[in-house]
Amino acid sequence: MRIETSVRAVASPAAPPLSRPKGLWALLVIVVAMAALPLIASTYTLTLMVPFFGFAIALLGFNLLFGYTGLLSFGHAMFLGVGAYATAVLTSKLGVRSFELVLLTAIAVSALIALPVGYLCVRYTRIFFGMLTLAFGMLFHSILFKFYGLTGGDQGMRVVRPLLFGMDSAGGKTAFLTGPFYYYALGLLAVLGFVMWRIVRSPFGLHLQAIRENAQKASYLGVQVSRTRLAAFVISAIYGAVGGAILAVSIGLADPEMVYWTQSGNLVFMAVLGGSGSFVGPVIGGLAFVLLHDSVMAATQYWRFVMGAILVLLVIFFPRGIAGIAGDVVARFRKGS
Amino acid sequence: MTVFLDVLLGGVFHAAILFLVAAGLQLVFGVQKIVNLACGSFYALGAYFGITAVGFAAQLGLPSILVLPVLILAGLAIGLVGLPVERVLRTIYNRDESYQLLITFGFLLMFQDVFRFFWGATPRTLDNAYLVYGTAEFLGVQVPTYNLLVIAASIAIALGLGLFLQRTRMGRIIRATAENRNMTEAMGVDSNRIFAAVFTVGCMLGTVGGALVVPASASSLDMAVELVVEAFAVVVIGGLGSMRGALAGALIVGLIRAAAIMVLPEAEILSIYVVVIAVLILRPAGLFGRAVA
Amino acid sequence: MAALLAAHGVSKSYGAFQALRDVSLSISDGEFISIVGPNGAGKSTLVHVLTGLLKPTAGHVHFHGANIAGIGPVELARRGMARGFQLVNIFPALTVRETLAVAAASRLKRIANPFRSLTRDREVRADVEEVADIFNLRHRLDQPASALSQGEKKLLDVASAFALKPQLILIDEPTSGVSTGDKHSIMELLVTAARKAGVRGIIQVEHDMDLVARYSDRIIALQGGAVLANEPPATFFRDPALIAAVVGTRPPSVPHKSAAEARPC
Repeated sequence: MRIETSVRAVASPAAPPLSRPKGLWALLVIVVAMAALPLIASTYTLTLMVPFFGFAIALLGFNLLFGYTGLLSFGHAMFLGVGAYATAVLTSKLGVRSFELVLLTAIAVSALIALPVGYLCVRYTRIFFGMLTLAFGMLFHSILFKFYGLTGGDQGMRVVRPLLFGMDSAGGKTAFLTGPFYYYALGLLAVLGFVMWRIVRSPFGLHLQAIRENAQKASYLGVQVSRTRLAAFVISAIYGAVGGAILAVSIGLADPEMVYWTQSGNLVFMAVLGGSGSFVGPVIGGLAFVLLHDSVMAATQYWRFVMGAILVLLVIFFPRGIAGIAGDVVARFRKGS
Repeated sequence: MTVFLDVLLGGVFHAAILFLVAAGLQLVFGVQKIVNLACGSFYALGAYFGITAVGFAAQLGLPSILVLPVLILAGLAIGLVGLPVERVLRTIYNRDESYQLLITFGFLLMFQDVFRFFWGATPRTLDNAYLVYGTAEFLGVQVPTYNLLVIAASIAIALGLGLFLQRTRMGRIIRATAENRNMTEAMGVDSNRIFAAVFTVGCMLGTVGGALVVPASASSLDMAVELVVEAFAVVVIGGLGSMRGALAGALIVGLIRAAAIMVLPEAEILSIYVVVIAVLILRPAGLFGRAVA
Repeated sequence: MAALLAAHGVSKSYGAFQALRDVSLSISDGEFISIVGPNGAGKSTLVHVLTGLLKPTAGHVHFHGANIAGIGPVELARRGMARGFQLVNIFPALTVRETLAVAAASRLKRIANPFRSLTRDREVRADVEEVADIFNLRHRLDQPASALSQGEKKLLDVASAFALKPQLILIDEPTSGVSTGDKHSIMELLVTAARKAGVRGIIQVEHDMDLVARYSDRIIALQGGAVLANEPPATFFRDPALIAAVVGTRPPSVPHKSAAEARPC
C-alpha cells in the first residue's frame, strides 16, 4: 500500500533536495495559474486567494526555519502580527498610505524584533525552541491584547486601504482586493518566492540544512551554527511580516487573534499539509488549507473537528504532505513507464 | 495584610488546579516524551463533564454537599477518554517531535467542537455550587471552604502520585520506562500497556483539575487553549518532566497571576510570560529539570 | 623546523580527577602520528585539548604558533585544522556533493551573501569533485549520504574534513565501525588523500595496533593521563612491556606479532 511507504519513509521533516530545480517550476506553475485565475474564478474565490498569498509568503519564511533548518517555531504568528499591526498603525494612525512604505516598515520592525528574540531562541533546539518561541508569541499577544489604548485591545485596529505604487484605486473594497491588490500580492509572492529559492539554494541555505542534519558535525566543517540560525530566523520573520501585512489589508483589520498561539499552530498545519520537505510544499499547503477551511466552514459549524481530524490523519498517514504524495505518484509513474 | 492573604489564597487555589493539569503533562512527557497540547482539552472536558455530572446528581436527588466527590468521580470517569486518544498517538511514538506536537494540536481542535456540540457555545457555570460548603475564616480572611478543600485534594493527589511513583512496583516500572524504554522492554515489560496507563492517568489529572475548577469559575470554549499556555508556563518554569517542577511552577504561576491581578491587571498574562522567558534564558532546563543536551 | 601543532606541559583535571598530566608533544610537517593507550588513558581528553575544544588546566597548545585554547570548532576549521570522529558523523539527508560543499563553502567564505548561487559556483564545484575523486566517491556524488554503505559513510565523513583543505587533520579512530577488510583500504586512502590534498600532518587515535604499526611515523602512548612513550614504530614495537601497557585492558584481539611483522613496510 502506498500509504505505508510514505509513513515509513519519514522519521523527521524530510529534506528538500538541493540539486533539482523542481521547486521553482512548481512555484512558477502556481503563480501563473493564480495570475490567470481572475479570468475564470468568482469574485468570492478571488477574495480567498489574497489571504492565501499572505500565508504563502509567511510559510516560505516559516519553512526556512522548519523544513530547512529543523527549528519548529510555535510562535511564528507573532511576525504575522508585526506586519499586520505595522500596516494598521501606519495607515490608520499615522496617515501613511503607501503600501511600499508599509512593507519597508514591516520588514524593518520585524527584523528589529527578530534579532533579540532570535538571539535568545536559537541557542535552543527541538521542543525548547518551540516553547521559547511560543512564549515570545504569547508575550506579544498579551501586549496587544491588554494595552488597549495602544493597540485597540481585542477590538483590533482598522486598516485603511493602502496606495499601491502611490495610486489610489476606484471602486469598493472587493474591487480593490480582487483587482489591483490581488495582482500586487501575487507579484510579491512571485518575487519573494524567487528570492527564497535563491536563498535555499545558496551556500547559506546549504549550511542551514547541514545544521538541521547534524549541528555538531556542521560546526567542525566551519558552519557558524548560531549565527546562521539567527540569520534564518530574521529572514523568516521578515517573510512573516510581509505576509501579515497582506493579511491585514485583506481582512481590513489587525487583531490579536492573528497572533494567538493557535494561529502559529495553523501555520505549522499548513506547512505539514503541503509538505515541509519540499520547497513549494508549504505554499501548496497554504492554498489547500485556505480552500479546505472555507469549504469545511461552509459545510458545517463543526469545522474545527473536521480540520483537527484531517490534521491527525495527515500526521499519521501522510507526514510528507501533498508534495510528498505528488512526489511518490510521479516516482511511481516514472517507474511504471 | 488581609489583602495579601486574599491574593495568596487565590493564587494557591489557582496553583492547585494548574498543578494537576501540569502534573499530567509532565507524566506524559516524562514517559512518552510527548508534549501534549491536548492537555488543555482534557481540562476543559473535565470542566464540562463535571457540570453535567453535578446536574445529573441533583436530578437523582443527591444532597448538594456531595458536589466535591461527584466532581472528582466525574473527572476520573471522563479521564478514560485518554485510552482511545493514546491508541491513536501510539502510531507516531517513533516520529519526530514536531509531528507529535502537531497531532496533539489536531486533537485540541477536534475537542473544541466536541464541547460546542455537547455543551454549546455559551459558557456554563455551576451557579456558585461551592457555597454549599460555606466560608471559612483563615487568619482573618473569609475564604470559600470549597477552595480549601480543593487545595487539600490537590496536595493529597500530589502526595499520592509521588508515593505511587516512588514506592509501588508499578511506579518503579513507569520510572524505569521513562529512563530507558528498551531496557524495560528487554526485561519483559509491555511498554504499550505502560504507555496506555500513563497517558490515561495523565489525562485523568487534567480532567479532575477541570472538574474541580467549575464550581469556582465558568467553563467556556476558550478555556482549553488558554490553559495550554499556562500549563506550558508551569512546566517550562519547573522543568520539563519533573513532578517537583510542576509543583513549584504551578505555585509560581498561580501566585504571579494573583499578584498581577491585584497590582497591575493589564500585566496579568504578560507577567507570566516574562517569568517564563527569564527562566528559559537563565535556566533553560527549568528549576527542577535536567540540563538540556 | 617549526612544529605544526605543539602541546607544552598540558594538564587537565575535572575536579579531583586528573585526566592529563604534563603532556608535551609536537607534530612536524609531513608526520603521521598515532595516539595509543588503554581505555581511560586520557586519549579523548587529549584530542579535545589539541583541537581547542577544552582549555587545559595548565600548559598550552599552539597551532601554527598561536594558542588555540577554547577557540571552538568553527575557528579551528578556519585556521586549518579538521577533525574526524569516532562514530560515523554525516548529514544523512544531504547528498555526497552537498556534504562536501558544506565544507568547501565555509573554506571559500561563501556564506555572507545568502543569494549567491551554489550550483554555479565553479570553485566550490572543483573542490567538491577533487575531494570526491580522491576518496572514490565520484560516482556517488548525487546519492544521499544515508544511501551509502557503512564504509562509504566513513569515507564521506573523512572526506568532508578534507574538503576544508586543512593543514592538519585529527581523527578519532578513523576505521572504527568498519569491517576489518575495509580498514586497510580506508587507511591507504587517508594517507594518499593527505598527500594529494596537501595535508601536512595527521594525528589519529587508534586501537588497532596493526594499523598503528603500518602507517605511523611516530607513536605516542598514553597511560593514566601521562605520556608513556613517544617514539617511532621501529623502537616502539621492540618493547613488549610497552605494548602490554598500551594494549592494557583490551583483549588481545590484535596479536602484536602481526603488528611486528607488518612494521617493516
